[in-house]
Amino acid sequence: MTARPTIADPIAFELFKNALIAIADEMALTITRTTYSGVLKDNMDFSTAFCDGDGRLIAQGLTLPGHLGSLPTALRAAIERFGDSIVDGDVLCLNDPYAGGMHLPDLFVFKPIFHEGVRVAFAATICHHTDVGGRVAGSNAADSTEIYQEGLRIPPSKLFRAGQPNDTLFDMIRANVRLPVLVEADMRAQLAACHIAERQFLEIVADHGVAGTRALIDELIDYSERLTRSAIGGLPDGEWSFEDWIDDDGVDLGKPIRLFVTFRKADDRIEADWTGSNPQVRGAINNTFSYTQAASYCAIRCVLDEDIPTNEGFFRAIDVVAPKGTIANMELPAACAARGLTGFRMIDCALGALAMMRPDKVMAASDGGNTGISIGGWTADRKPFVYVDFTCGAWGARPWADGLEGNANIFSNMASQSVEITEAEHPVEILRYEFLTDRAGAGLYRGGAPFGRDYRIKATTASLQVRADRASFRPYGLYGGAAGHFARNILNPGTAGERPLSPKFTMDVVAGDVLRHELAGPGGWGDPLERPPEAVLEDVRDGFVSIAGALRDYGVVILADSVDAAATAAARAAKAKARGPAPTPFTREAAS
Amino acid sequence: MSGQWRVGVDIGGTFTDIVLLGPDGRLAVRKVSSSVDDYARAIVEGLEIALREAGLTAADVSEIRHGATVASNAILERRGAKVGLIGTEGFRDILEIRTLRMPRLYDLAWEKPKPLVPRRLRLTVPERIDATGAVTTPLDLAAAAAAIDHLVGEGVDAIAVAFLNAYANPVHEQAMARLMAERAPGVAACISTDVLPEIREYERTSTTVVNCYVLPIVAAYLKSLKAGLRDQGIAAPVSLMQSSGGLTPADAAARLPVHIIESGPAGGVVGAQALAAPLGEASIVSFDMGGTTAKAALVIDGRAERADELQVGGEAIQASRLLTGQGYSVKTRAIDLAEVGAGGGSIVWIDAGGAMQIGPKSAGASPGPVSYGMGGTEPTITDANLILGYLNPAGLAGGERTLDLAAARAAFKAKVADPLGLSVEDAAFGARRIAVANMMRAIRAVTVERGRDPRSAALFAFGGNGPMFGWDMAAALGMQRVIAPPAPGLFSAFGLLYAEVEHHYGRTLRRVLASADPEEIERAWRSLEDEGSAQLTAEGFKPADQEVRRSASLRYKGQTHELEVDWSGAFDLAARDGLAEAFGVEHARVYGHRAGLAEPVELITLRASGRGLGERAPLAKSTDRKAAAGGGWRPAYFGPETGWLETPILARSDLAEQRIGPFIVEEYDATCLAPPGVSGQLEPVTNAITLRRAKV
Repeated sequence: MTARPTIADPIAFELFKNALIAIADEMALTITRTTYSGVLKDNMDFSTAFCDGDGRLIAQGLTLPGHLGSLPTALRAAIERFGDSIVDGDVLCLNDPYAGGMHLPDLFVFKPIFHEGVRVAFAATICHHTDVGGRVAGSNAADSTEIYQEGLRIPPSKLFRAGQPNDTLFDMIRANVRLPVLVEADMRAQLAACHIAERQFLEIVADHGVAGTRALIDELIDYSERLTRSAIGGLPDGEWSFEDWIDDDGVDLGKPIRLFVTFRKADDRIEADWTGSNPQVRGAINNTFSYTQAASYCAIRCVLDEDIPTNEGFFRAIDVVAPKGTIANMELPAACAARGLTGFRMIDCALGALAMMRPDKVMAASDGGNTGISIGGWTADRKPFVYVDFTCGAWGARPWADGLEGNANIFSNMASQSVEITEAEHPVEILRYEFLTDRAGAGLYRGGAPFGRDYRIKATTASLQVRADRASFRPYGLYGGAAGHFARNILNPGTAGERPLSPKFTMDVVAGDVLRHELAGPGGWGDPLERPPEAVLEDVRDGFVSIAGALRDYGVVILADSVDAAATAAARAAKAKARGPAPTPFTREAAS
Repeated sequence: MSGQWRVGVDIGGTFTDIVLLGPDGRLAVRKVSSSVDDYARAIVEGLEIALREAGLTAADVSEIRHGATVASNAILERRGAKVGLIGTEGFRDILEIRTLRMPRLYDLAWEKPKPLVPRRLRLTVPERIDATGAVTTPLDLAAAAAAIDHLVGEGVDAIAVAFLNAYANPVHEQAMARLMAERAPGVAACISTDVLPEIREYERTSTTVVNCYVLPIVAAYLKSLKAGLRDQGIAAPVSLMQSSGGLTPADAAARLPVHIIESGPAGGVVGAQALAAPLGEASIVSFDMGGTTAKAALVIDGRAERADELQVGGEAIQASRLLTGQGYSVKTRAIDLAEVGAGGGSIVWIDAGGAMQIGPKSAGASPGPVSYGMGGTEPTITDANLILGYLNPAGLAGGERTLDLAAARAAFKAKVADPLGLSVEDAAFGARRIAVANMMRAIRAVTVERGRDPRSAALFAFGGNGPMFGWDMAAALGMQRVIAPPAPGLFSAFGLLYAEVEHHYGRTLRRVLASADPEEIERAWRSLEDEGSAQLTAEGFKPADQEVRRSASLRYKGQTHELEVDWSGAFDLAARDGLAEAFGVEHARVYGHRAGLAEPVELITLRASGRGLGERAPLAKSTDRKAAAGGGWRPAYFGPETGWLETPILARSDLAEQRIGPFIVEEYDATCLAPPGVSGQLEPVTNAITLRRAKV
């Protein structure tokens, strides 16, 4: 360990750090307060931040994990494009994933902040907009095959020039999006957040002067770097690789897509290397490099014990590698609108590698992240409707506890939409929203229970699009825990017309059709035969495990609402003998 | 024959505060230890002592107003009732799935709060009502009866019923209520449309379950309290403070205890509001700082700002309002309070990156600050105040404890000052500045983050540590005046004396305003008003003393959140445009913009509130004479630029004449600090100290 670092003026430093984080948080609150759209308000699919005049990240407010580290990439692209022609009163924006963006719905807005003619900072916001044009409403389709199908590409541009709006750009945006009122309102929210940041940051600069402010910024970045390196230094050294598979890209059906990562950790540095991952695919699930960085940073943060302010200093201690032309670092003309799926699955993959580094800290595979369901079409009176639902919510078992059930994924923290609001506003009825029995991976600690959700179409006809995964690769179990269960899509369950559907598809449906979506069951942790029989009994009482499942998955015999101890001991002994030692560290297949 | 003394009683975890206010404004206060096994006992016994000390008898008490933590404690400690929940088939897990949202990021160790009803006690029955209120699957009465019988067999104390879309048509829930009355007369029963007839199934279900969870406990508590008072010969009516800042009679609280969950902190805000008005301060920020937390609320034009949802029973401290899900959702009217984990007991420490941090860990009451000499080894904010000379080493005037200055200095030196290369007093002074910056977040949360500028408001500082930090807080926020009320440590009890009876009603009625039937809206609004009037009449308020107001929650179609707008007068065709316009104005105020007139405005929920206007309590003239006498001087440190200054120690009464800081006012339960350049003066009518920047 290094000696205790020194900060020139520790009191002034802490006040400065607090003030910057407060500004970035206030920007985020401004967006939740002023936005119209559910994507921003409920799903919180946005981030706010503060960068210095050179584009280095110095403070981040609310951070959607998927946006970690994306701002410097985007801002660098904007600074490279405009250089010294950036003047006071300008507002810069972009969304093009091939010029600093992440995917087209994410619009970056930057406001340079000047003090006496000197550029001292940038206020930065990213918001996921409800629609940015393209071939499918919501601009989210998984089955586009080129970026050109996905909507309006905005390269680094000036939204305002010296305080004057760029009317041409505004007109272009209005003309190319399906819901211009909503998009404009959300852009206004982004601008409002930047204005608030500017006013408050200039008060700080007035207090400390430009040189004093810069010195404090340097200290803040160094401080985060020290914290990060100290936390990384506490992790074991070594190299760990892990492989996982995405079912397919929804275009080349049934063709699995490989994710492969290697973490190399030495002293106070760590590297996440995605070499070995699949070449880029035709479907719209390719990542920008910045999105691969975000997934890598998020996974690493999950294994660090310290709470570290997110800034340039955090990134300095972490290297991310991803070869060009792969799903982890796409090249033109790859499509990327639905790359969220790849991000979620990269978290599963990265945590798999990190589980070998920190067996005490990392959970088994989750349900694989959220499933996207879009139902769109026209009502009887020719009004368009678009219903978009993102749903997920079961964590893998942890080395000390069962996985969570009914909880957002670690990579997104999205809220669900109310069933009653959905039914009041869309020609859709939800018939079921309930945990499933015997679907969580068994273990000393079991995975969280996944849920099933049934959607009935009430419109005469509609287009149904689903983006799901984990239908042919089970969430892995850890250290003896069982693998979880497949996700499933079923059309018209319990009727003569019942049939299974693939994980990703677009199809026409008619009134009365029912889609049942069942989330994948997450993996378990530790030997299921060691789970205390009383804990299994509790799960049976709560309907998470059936009586048959208790015997099959845990070797626990339950009779008349109690554990039959003798029969359980016998059943467990027989199972242990037939099985041999519990597999470790990973279980990917169902027990035979 | 009823008496003329009002009594306010506020229960905390450690102390029960009792305040008596006579018709002439005479004030008597008493602090007694809380009786954790039976909170009612401390009230009854403490009241008996307080009356005796004040030379009064049971017959002198006209009414008792009570801020009770019994409901929130039951949730925090998970000692509530065994509740069963019956829902719609296919939706067994609404309560547990919640909104999926978690309050922390990147934390694999995050645990959700366990649902208040375990899955085995959550049953469903076939029934279905659609979004328009039409019955699409009739309620299966046989299955319903079987579900009730099953839960009774499981030994539940209470049954909650929450059906999907019941807000649009409560007929199935009402059938369940009848069935439960028949089959389970001994079990408390609540249907969601009686508790919260509003859209959003999770919030409605959770609110109903929380109501059931605390109902038997609150009912038993109030019964025991009344019996204890009766034994003392006190027949005066008891009312409870609600989270909204309005009072409700004990009987109503026993029926809908969900409204009294945040009863505790509300009293102080209402008191601040009442005491600020005669000072000509219509808009204030209340700042309540104790040993472990600091809370802030905003009063604008004499009305506390309200929130419409609480998260209860989770981690008490919410650092950021961006992240939710730490507790159980309760949709109820509540004063909009923000809280941060900073108080006198907050620990000062240095993180791995070399930065000074305050809290959120607190030394609490045990072991307490280092200077208490009770085994505490970590330096705290109270130790900093002692080092700086702000606190009296001989202890507070009314206090029984002396403070160990040498131990506080030694701990600060070893753990904070030396590692940072600072002098002990500069480290202590810096710790206070950082604590101020942390607490500013609570005030910013209820002002700037709500689109309100605090700078023209006065800061109303109370709680054991409020007046000690009041001026620094105000200065940091650009506020010009600080008000420190009498008996700041007991102020939450005192505030109860100024509250009024208040009830809130709401019903979801989703209609696009432009095409809504005005008669339907008028009818629905009137029925809510009638409900309010009937309740107030039953409580003995004459029609002239009833104030019933209308409001509505609206949004632009497509938005996911509503804004509430007040409305007065009957609702007719012309009023539709008026209401839409009022919404547009409010939207522009809150969001900074409004949509064009063509943008459809959607009505979501109609609301009414009923207030019972009683005779207002007189202003308190003086506290009892146990207050400190003041006197003497002590060196106090005011930062590296000013250094140590000999500082006079005053009593509140010494401020009858304006004094210029620095000075320190020592009292029975709190210390008020005025740094150099700040003037202070006692305001004779309210007995409050006002601090201002001194004119030079």
